[in-house]
Amino acid sequence: MAVGLASGISAVSAADDTVKVGVLHSLSGTMAISETSLRDVLLFTFDEINAAGGVLGKKIEPVVVDGASDWPLFAEKAEQLLVQDKAAVTFGCWTSVSRKSVLPVFEKYNGLLFYPVQYEGEEMSKNIFYTAEAVGQQAIPAVDFLLEEGYKKFYLIGTDYVYPQTTNIVLFEYLLSKGISVENIGGGLRKDSEGKVISAGNYTPFGHADFQQIVADIKKFSASGEACVINTINGDANVPFFKEFASSGLTSDDCPVVSFSLSEDEFRALPAKDLVGHLGCWTYFMSIESAANKKFIADFNTWLGKTDVPGIVKENRVTCSPMVLSYDGVYIWKAAVEKAGSFDVDKVREALLSGDVSFDGPGGTVTAQKNHHLTKTVYIGETLETGQFSIIKTLPDVYGEPFLKGTFEKK
Amino acid sequence: MSRFAALFWLFAVTILSVVGSTVVRADESEARRLLTEVILYDGERQDVAVEALGEEGAEIIKVVVEAWRVGEVSTTTRAEGEELALLKTPEGWFNILTGDEEVPSGEVTINRPSRKLRKTLKQLVDLLDLSSSDPAERIAAVEKLGLRQKAEYVELLRERVTKQTDPKVQRAFEEALSISLLVNGTVEERLQAVKDLGELKSFPARDFIDVLVAENEAVIADDAAAEEDKEAAKDLLAAAVSAKEKIDSRQKAVEVAGTIFRGLSLGSVLLLVSYGLAITFGLMGVINMAHGEFIAIGGYTVYLVQGYFAQTFGEGTAAYEWYFAVALPAAFLVAAFFGVVLERGVIQFLYRRPLESLLATWGVSMIIQQLIRMKFGAANVAVSSPQWLSGSVEMGGVTMTNNRLFVIGFALFVIVATWLLLTKTNWGLHVRATMQNRQMASSLGVRSTRVNMMTFAFGSGLAGLAGAFLSQIGNVGPSMGQTYIVDSFMVVVVGGVGSLLGAALSSLGIGMIDQTLQPILGPVMGKISVLLGIILFLQFKPGGLFPSKSRSLDD
Repeated sequence: MAVGLASGISAVSAADDTVKVGVLHSLSGTMAISETSLRDVLLFTFDEINAAGGVLGKKIEPVVVDGASDWPLFAEKAEQLLVQDKAAVTFGCWTSVSRKSVLPVFEKYNGLLFYPVQYEGEEMSKNIFYTAEAVGQQAIPAVDFLLEEGYKKFYLIGTDYVYPQTTNIVLFEYLLSKGISVENIGGGLRKDSEGKVISAGNYTPFGHADFQQIVADIKKFSASGEACVINTINGDANVPFFKEFASSGLTSDDCPVVSFSLSEDEFRALPAKDLVGHLGCWTYFMSIESAANKKFIADFNTWLGKTDVPGIVKENRVTCSPMVLSYDGVYIWKAAVEKAGSFDVDKVREALLSGDVSFDGPGGTVTAQKNHHLTKTVYIGETLETGQFSIIKTLPDVYGEPFLKGTFEKK
Repeated sequence: MSRFAALFWLFAVTILSVVGSTVVRADESEARRLLTEVILYDGERQDVAVEALGEEGAEIIKVVVEAWRVGEVSTTTRAEGEELALLKTPEGWFNILTGDEEVPSGEVTINRPSRKLRKTLKQLVDLLDLSSSDPAERIAAVEKLGLRQKAEYVELLRERVTKQTDPKVQRAFEEALSISLLVNGTVEERLQAVKDLGELKSFPARDFIDVLVAENEAVIADDAAAEEDKEAAKDLLAAAVSAKEKIDSRQKAVEVAGTIFRGLSLGSVLLLVSYGLAITFGLMGVINMAHGEFIAIGGYTVYLVQGYFAQTFGEGTAAYEWYFAVALPAAFLVAAFFGVVLERGVIQFLYRRPLESLLATWGVSMIIQQLIRMKFGAANVAVSSPQWLSGSVEMGGVTMTNNRLFVIGFALFVIVATWLLLTKTNWGLHVRATMQNRQMASSLGVRSTRVNMMTFAFGSGLAGLAGAFLSQIGNVGPSMGQTYIVDSFMVVVVGGVGSLLGAALSSLGIGMIDQTLQPILGPVMGKISVLLGIILFLQFKPGGLFPSKSRSLDD
């Protein structure tokens, strides 16, 4: 909350030459570890834009509010941003459940939200712009890569909530369409009374600590070789999972794990040697060797060095995909505003959906699509002992498609 | 793959021409030269070197390939312009070409193999391991070879299977050969292989037998197939189905044994985290909400000791490997010290006011959490396991990881040590007297304030030990205690407040039930069912497994 207050004070000096922009992330509670990084990168981006003259000649004035990892509170804070502060645009949310809880608020007041974290799709609100990776920009390319590498058995595990459940059901359909038989998709299936599969994979509660049974099951599943694991476990439950996985004698050579919720930021708290050789798939890696990325990392660190945001972590910072997609989101919004010549939400949306708003970000060029998603470059990387990814495959210009469920024909 | 086959034959011939399993170790220099080539160059020159490397059998190949995988191979350029490939060890840099120590003068850059190259090298190492002196390595290598089902391995496996003296290794060779023959053999060989695999109860073979069943069913159903093919298919099918049954029944038995082991290990973890509470809450009657934070203190102590060892001895050195042995007593002492501070500072004023002690310790728990966040940051910290605690042993098909075996032994040790302390020592007598009746004990000359303090410190120390162990299997973070506090109270209440034996039995029981339900209901429903079961149990036995009996009117 201290941050919210601090920005509130600076708002006193607000005048007509500024535009208010909302930042809606959890700065306390369980999600604070991840979401605070996004707040940091957003504040950095605003300062960068302001230093270069602002948007339409107006300086960005951030209004930072704390969702406190409390989903109903997210909705309240969203209402505050839209009604009281009249924020022209809001950047925020991490978990799908927080996005779902603010969605009706943004629709009611015709606001605009940019959402930056990989998600399960099956949603397209006219008031939300998804800079996030859709399933087709993360999970599908990763599975394609594994199929190319010759893996024939896929074990699905995840945390029990909407993102892993939805992603895995899409992947289940996709694997069937690629000729993988049901027996070779591990983790268990749940069917409804008509025999339709409604859940695929093995699910654990948030913060699960005992992965003995699951790892034993994976070991059995992979005994015949050519097996891999698709991991949508969220948060710090990954630590006991990878520790159990490594100590039971499974390695990335026998049975690689591809994880969708582990980025460079999360690696800081993981024992890296247990993770070497396992895979990740994102639309940005810190290890991308481009001038734009190097400049982004350097500028961010310089900004961290001199910023006076209270409580900000200044040392050993890394950059990751959700951070870069937040950064890209701000610039995409800026480009749309400039094209529309106005901050009005309807006009900005029209510009966004025109199909020719794009930005050369640290992860490559991103282009806004008519369906509220971004076309972007997808990277597949292999974990190194340093907690970084070494990029092994690059897929340029992948179209973001949110509605994939039920679109794959079974072979 | 054909080039690899050629390479393989060259290699096989080289190996077979050497008597026994001792490979050309005398001369590593050629292997070293080739490895340097592979690392420093790419393209054709690298391919040639890789191919030639297949003919070498030196141990150094394995060392370098493994180091290369984890980023411990680097390149540098000497002042005079010579390029070097270096191997990083805890002792320093070594020139791979000569094996001599090297102090790099210029910039050192980490070198990484491509995924494809790594795969090729891995296969090379597997072949090398086939004649390793370590039986475990031989088994692992031959298993992988069998799973690849390549025709070119059949002869080699046949040759080798008779030479193995260790029955376990021989079994693995037979298994690999049979799996390989499933596709590569003649009809008779295939039939025999299926039968053998059934006898061997081979788990890896199960999927391949599945494929065989499907294939033969197709042949039988196919009208166009020749009559004699159909006959053969029928025989194969019958053999495959019976082999599958054998494997499945064995797999079931292994699963039951595995579940028992896993229940035991989960029970031991629960016991460790709750035993301290069984003393501070069960015996002393302090509703200690800060119990979880003492666990966290133990975890962070391990983190600090690990950091100290890494700094003094360097990571990966022999001395570093033993950091955990130092960290365990350290975690106990540090947590016990904080226990003394808490008891002297807060709890000593609240012995007759249990509800206030609940509120006060809850406050303390939040203060400790925040202090940890301020000192170490909100994110979790990484603790790595020493070599002797990572890895696993396999017994009768059940994989038992070393850290799980360790926790079972350790839990036993804690139970026995606590029991001895409380029943066989003078101090234990004083503790029991004080806990029964503080005033009476002190009027008989027991220094009850001191006893209170020491007992609370002991309970806190046990929590610290639990935290130290948890660092090996889970997270170390500011809120790690919160994850376990509910479990701890659950165990103590189910066991019967005041009964240490009850706590031990209830943790084992809860662990077992949890692990039995998990494979059937899944982790989420399993956990819910356990909680429901406990609620029901407490409805009928509110005092827990061993209700404390007392003549005091308060109880």
